[in-house]
Amino acid sequence: MSQTEAPESFPSPRPTPLRKGSGRIVRRISVKLSTGFAGYASAKKNAGNSCSLSPSEGERVRVRGRSAWPALLILLILNFVAVAEPRFPPPDFTETNHQIPGTTTPAARAELLQYLDVGVLFTCLGVAVWFVHKQRSRRGLFWLGIFSLAYFGFWRLGCVCAIGAPQNIILGLFDASYAVPLTVIAFFAAPLLVALFAGRAFCAGVCPHGALQDLLLIKPVKVPAWLEHALGVLPFIFLGFGLTFAATGTGFPICRYDPIVPIFRLSGPNLLIALAALTLVLGMFVGRPYCRFLCPYGALLKLASLTAKWRVRVTPDLCTQCQLCANSCPFGAMREPSASKTDPKFLAPDRRRLGWLLLLLPVLIAGGAWIGSLLAVPVSKLNPTVELAERYIRQQQSPVDYGVMTPETLSLQRAERDPEAVLKSATDLRQRFWLACLIFGGWTGLVIGVKLASLSLRTTRTDFEPDRGACFACARCFRSCPQELVRIGQMPASEVPQTAVAVNT
Amino acid sequence: MTSSSDNSQPAGLDCGGKRSATPLSAASVPSDKAVSPLRSATAVQDTGSLSRTAWIAAVFCLLVSGYMLYQHVLAAERDPWKSPQLLALKEKLRATPTDEAVKTEIRRLDLEFRQRYKRRLALDVTGGWLLVGGVAVLLLTASQSAKLQLLPWRPKLRADVAGEARTLSARARWSVTALGVLTGMGLLTLALSATSPLPRSAAELDKLLGKGGESELAANVPNLAEFQANWPQFRGSDGGGATTNERFELNSSSVIWKTPIPAPGYNSPIVWSNRVFISGGDAVKREVFCFDAVGGKLLWQRAIENVPGSPAKPPEISDATGWAAPTMATDGRRAFAIFVNGDLAAVNFDGSLAWAKHLGVPKNAYGHAASLAVAPGKLIVQWDQDEEAPGGSKLLAFDCVTGKQLWERSKPTHGSWASPIIATAAGKSQIITLALPFVMSHALADGSELWRADVMEGEITPSPITAGGLVVAVSPNTGLLGLRMDGAGDVTKSHVAWKAEDNIPDVTSPVSNGEVVFTVTSSGGLACFDLKDGKQVWQHELELEVQASPAIAGKQLLLISTKGDLISLLAGREFKEQGRSKLEDTFHASPALADGRLFLRGATNLWCLAAERKKAE
Repeated sequence: MSQTEAPESFPSPRPTPLRKGSGRIVRRISVKLSTGFAGYASAKKNAGNSCSLSPSEGERVRVRGRSAWPALLILLILNFVAVAEPRFPPPDFTETNHQIPGTTTPAARAELLQYLDVGVLFTCLGVAVWFVHKQRSRRGLFWLGIFSLAYFGFWRLGCVCAIGAPQNIILGLFDASYAVPLTVIAFFAAPLLVALFAGRAFCAGVCPHGALQDLLLIKPVKVPAWLEHALGVLPFIFLGFGLTFAATGTGFPICRYDPIVPIFRLSGPNLLIALAALTLVLGMFVGRPYCRFLCPYGALLKLASLTAKWRVRVTPDLCTQCQLCANSCPFGAMREPSASKTDPKFLAPDRRRLGWLLLLLPVLIAGGAWIGSLLAVPVSKLNPTVELAERYIRQQQSPVDYGVMTPETLSLQRAERDPEAVLKSATDLRQRFWLACLIFGGWTGLVIGVKLASLSLRTTRTDFEPDRGACFACARCFRSCPQELVRIGQMPASEVPQTAVAVNT
Repeated sequence: MTSSSDNSQPAGLDCGGKRSATPLSAASVPSDKAVSPLRSATAVQDTGSLSRTAWIAAVFCLLVSGYMLYQHVLAAERDPWKSPQLLALKEKLRATPTDEAVKTEIRRLDLEFRQRYKRRLALDVTGGWLLVGGVAVLLLTASQSAKLQLLPWRPKLRADVAGEARTLSARARWSVTALGVLTGMGLLTLALSATSPLPRSAAELDKLLGKGGESELAANVPNLAEFQANWPQFRGSDGGGATTNERFELNSSSVIWKTPIPAPGYNSPIVWSNRVFISGGDAVKREVFCFDAVGGKLLWQRAIENVPGSPAKPPEISDATGWAAPTMATDGRRAFAIFVNGDLAAVNFDGSLAWAKHLGVPKNAYGHAASLAVAPGKLIVQWDQDEEAPGGSKLLAFDCVTGKQLWERSKPTHGSWASPIIATAAGKSQIITLALPFVMSHALADGSELWRADVMEGEITPSPITAGGLVVAVSPNTGLLGLRMDGAGDVTKSHVAWKAEDNIPDVTSPVSNGEVVFTVTSSGGLACFDLKDGKQVWQHELELEVQASPAIAGKQLLLISTKGDLISLLAGREFKEQGRSKLEDTFHASPALADGRLFLRGATNLWCLAAERKKAE
C-alpha cells in the first residue's frame, strides 16, 4: 500500500463536530461514572487535571469506569450461578406402587420468534459493521454489546448461538435423520459471511460471550506473544474435537462445556460453575480468554476475516508510526511495522526452515491421524450407548445382584431386555468413532503444521495495524490514534505527532 | 510471502505534505522525573484504601465460596437418592420386607435428608447474594484502584526490530512445537491406556452373542428329541406326566436300587441321561443332589449358600411345604433349583455352581411350591405371591447359561402352588400358568400375555396339562376344565370347551393319554374323563391317600400312594388294575420316567424301579 494513497477501507467517516471545550466535558463525565468510594473526590480532582494524560489513557480510564456498572448489574443476577444443584429426586413409592406421572417436554419455541432471533442477529451484525467501519465508535459497540448480552445471553439463554452451530451443521451432514433448522444455519453462516467482507464484527458487539468478557476486563495483563501463538492453536483443536463428537451423534461438547452459558442460565453442573467462575476471574485480567484461546467459532472467523475486504485500521488516515496505539489493544492483536530491510544472511536459513516445515506437514497429518485412530476406544466411552454396552458386558462376566435400584442399575436392566441391539449399536458407534478420531487427529496435525509454517513466513508491514484474524474489531484502539482524534475534532491537526521515536531500523 | 501492506518507501518520516509536520519537541515529552498527577499523595492514599477494600472483599468472597463448596461436598453423602446409609437400609428392607423398624428408619432418614436439602438450597441462595455483593465490591474497588495506579504508556526505542521479530518467531515455533508434543503424548497415553470389552468387529460380536456354530450357547442347547427322551422337569418334558415307550411289570424284583436321601424335600426327581437330580434342605442348608441313574450312587451334592441378597435370617416356612418343594429342571447341561426362600441356582453336571441369584423372599401363605419349567435356552419361574405381597405376582424368564433375566411380566394373579407348563399351540410357544383367578397363557419369546380365562377358584395346587389341543386345568372349587389354546385376550366366555364337576382333585395333577383324562383325589378317588367333552367315563375308589400325581407309561397308568402302594392300571376307558407293589417309604413326590426306569422319591430314599422293558403295543 502506498503512503500517498488512501487505504482501502470503509468510506472515510466525517469528523463529528463537538462543542467547544468538549474535551473537558468528556473528562467530567468520566469522573462521574467512576463513583462512590474514598477515591471519588481524588479521582475527580485528578481527572480535572488530567491534561497530561494521552487520549488513549483517558479512553482507557473512561472505558474502565463504565465497565464497573454493567459488571455490577450482571453480578446482581449472578447469585443464581452459585446454585448449581442436581435435580431433586422423587420419593421412592415402592410400597404404594404410586405411578409418578411421566415428564413432558415443553412445546418448541414459536417459529416466528425463531425468525425474530435471526432478524435481530442480522440487524446487530449490520449495526456492528456500521459502528466499526463507518462511525468508528467504541461507545456504539459497547452499548451494542450490552444489548447482545441481554438479548442473546440472558434472554435467549445463550442458545441458539453461532459458537455451537457448527456442531448442528456437521451432525446434519452425517445423520440423515437430523434436519438442521434454518435458524441454526443462519446463525452459523451470517457472522462468517460478514467476516469475509468486514472482519470480526460479530465478535465486536454481537456475541454475548465476548460482550460479557469485555465488561469484566479491569486490568489487562499482556500475554507474551510467543505464548499467545501457542495457545491460539487450541480453538482449532477444540473445533475438531467438537465436530468429532457431533458427527458421531454423541453430543455437543462445545455447548456442554461452554463455561459462560451457565452464567446466562444461572445454573449448571458443578464443574461448569467452577469453570465459569474461573473464566470470570481470568477475564478480569486476561482480555477475552475464551474468545482468544478456546472459542471454536472464533477459529472459523479468524480464517474468514483473513480475506476481509474492509479491514479494521487504527488510523483513519495515514499511519505516522507514533506508537501511541502499540499498547492500546488488550487482546494482543496489535501488530507493529516490520523492519524495512531483511538481513540477507537470514534469507537462506529462513527458506530452508520453511521448506522443512512444509515437508513435515504431511508427516504431522499422518502422525496425528494415527494417534487419532487409537483414540476411538477412550473417546467412544463418552457415548452413553457404548458406556452402557461395556457395563453390560462386564456385568455378564461377574454377575451381581441388583439390590436397590439406582439410575445405573436401571439402565443396565433396560439393556438386558435387548442386549443384542445395545451391543450392535455400540459396535457400530465404535467404528464411526474410529473414522472420526482419525480425521480429528489428522486435523490436529494439520493445524500444528500450518501454524509452524506460518511462523516461518516473513511479513512486511509498514503501519501499526491489528492482525486481521485476531482483531475483534472492538474499536478500543481507535482513540489512541492522534489521527482519529483529529477526525472527531478532539485535537487540532497541527498537534499530530510525526514520529515520537524512530521505529524502523 | 508478504502482506498486502508492503511499501518500498521508508515509513513515518514523510507525510507527503498533506498536513503540517509538527515534530514532537522535548518539552512536550514528559520526562522521567515529572510526577504524574496520579501519583500524588492523595492519590496514593486513595489507592491504598481502595486496595484494602478490594482485598477484604476478595477474602470475603473466598470465605463464602469455600463454605458453599464445603456444603456441596457434604451433600453427596446426604443425597436422598444415593446416600450409602439409605441404600444399606433399603437393602435390608428387601431382605426383610416386613420389618417395620427398618421402614420407620428409612422414612425418618429420607425426610431428614430432604429437609437438609431444602435448607441447603436456601443457604445457597443467601450465599449467592453475599457472593454477588462481595464480587461487586471487589470489582468496583479493584477497577478504581487500577485506574488510579495507571501510568501513561510511553513509546520505546526499538533498536533491533528485525532481531526481535526473529526471536519472537523462534520462541513461538518452539512453544507451538511443545504444545504439539504435549498434546500428542497426552493423547497417545490416553489411547494406549484405555481398554474395552466391546467386540471390535461384527464377527466378534456374533461370537459374543452366541450366533456362531462354535459358540458356547449353540453347543449347550439340546434338541427336542433329547428333551423328550428325558424327564427334564416336573412331570416330564411337556409337564404332562406321560411317556409313550415304556411298560412296567411291577413286582418285588422291580426295585433296582434305593439310596438314602441326605436332606428332606417334597420335590420330584428329574432325569437326564444317566443322572437323577433332586434338591433338599432346611433352614440351615439347602442342597442339590445328583445320583447315578444306573447304580443309584450319590455322585455329588452342592450346597446353595451365600447367594447375594439372600436373607441371613431364614424366613418362616410352613412344615407342610418345607424348604425344597419346587421340583428342579434341567436343560441337559445344567440343573436348576429354586428354594422356598427365593434362592435360584444353576449347577453344572459336574457339581460346580454355574450361577445363583436371589429373587426375594416370596410372600406366600404355604410357601413357594411352583416348580421350574425349562425351554431351550430359557428357564421359567412362576412367581405367584399373596395378594398383598409387595411387587405382586410375576412370570420370569432367565437365560439358562448365564442366569441373566431375559424378561419379566407382572401377573394380575395370586395364591398359586401349581407349576407352569410350556406347550405349542396356534403357532406359538406358550407358557400356561394357573393362579387365582386366571388360567393365563404367555408367549415364551417375550412373556407377553396371549390369553386369559377367569375360571379359577380355591387353592390352586394341581398343575395344568395339555392334551388334544386343550389345556386341562383343575379349579379345585369348581371343576375340571378343558380350554382351547388358540384364543387372544379374555377367552373366559369363548374358549372353555367343557367342564366336569365331580371327583375333582385338590393336590394331584391330571394326566392324559390323548383320549381320556385321569385324575385322583387325595382320598384315592380315581376318575376317568373323556378328553373331547369332559364327561366322566368311569370312577373308582382306591381308598388310599394319594399326594403324588399319576403318570402314564404307554398304556399303563401308574399311581403311588402316600404309604408306598405302587399301582399299575390300564390307561383306558375301563377300570382294570394290572399290578400292585408295596414300597416301604412315604411318598409325596410324583414319579419320573426315563430310559426304562421309574424313579420315585420317598421321604427316606430315592427309588429306582425297572422291569422287563417292552415296546409299546
